[in-house]
Amino acid sequence: MRIRWLVTLAIAALLLLDLYLPLSIIGRRGPEGAVRLEVPTSRVAVGQPFPPARLIDLDGEPFDLASLRGHRVLLTYERSVDW
Amino acid sequence: MAYRILCGASGLVMLLLGVGAFVSFFLYHGPGSAGAGPLPIGPGGAYYLGALGCALVAWGGALVGAARRPAAAPWLASVTALALVMNAVVRMVAWVVGDYAYLGDVLRVEAAVFLMLSLAFIWLKPRPVETARSA
Repeated sequence: MRIRWLVTLAIAALLLLDLYLPLSIIGRRGPEGAVRLEVPTSRVAVGQPFPPARLIDLDGEPFDLASLRGHRVLLTYERSVDW
Repeated sequence: MAYRILCGASGLVMLLLGVGAFVSFFLYHGPGSAGAGPLPIGPGGAYYLGALGCALVAWGGALVGAARRPAAAPWLASVTALALVMNAVVRMVAWVVGDYAYLGDVLRVEAAVFLMLSLAFIWLKPRPVETARSA
């Protein structure tokens, strides 16, 4: 009976964690989510200008890619930025 | 009685999902399909989906059997609850990892359902006395 209660408490803790995830730091969709939502990747093609994109920088501030127009820009891609 | 309904309902769902996953492998590789499908799973994903379907058929069949004779498999509720918790943990981690962002909150909802189902299996499973009496 005691084991049953212990297991129940563990599962309840997992359930609370599941509900809490969107509010937690690791659950916040950060830069990656913004990139996925706001960069129309279907329009990215070799030889074509990169489409306009408003992103969020590592400090959480909005960042407009157009502000780099006229500069040389190196874009790098990483897997799962917010993991 | 509640335990039998729980086993029967979840077992039937697993059987149906298992058959669906099994068939999806053949649909993915069927003539003319060109690997098209509602989910971006790729050939590797289709392979694992087919294998998952086979396992779900076994799991669902065991649960349906337990619904008919709960005393025949008293351990089934515990291992089912454990597997459901493991499934929930996988979904919670998958939700955090950005690769599954296209699924949205489906993963978290599924995890919550699995955790509540596991609690139901733990609390509704026959006690040893009931099992011995009905055996």
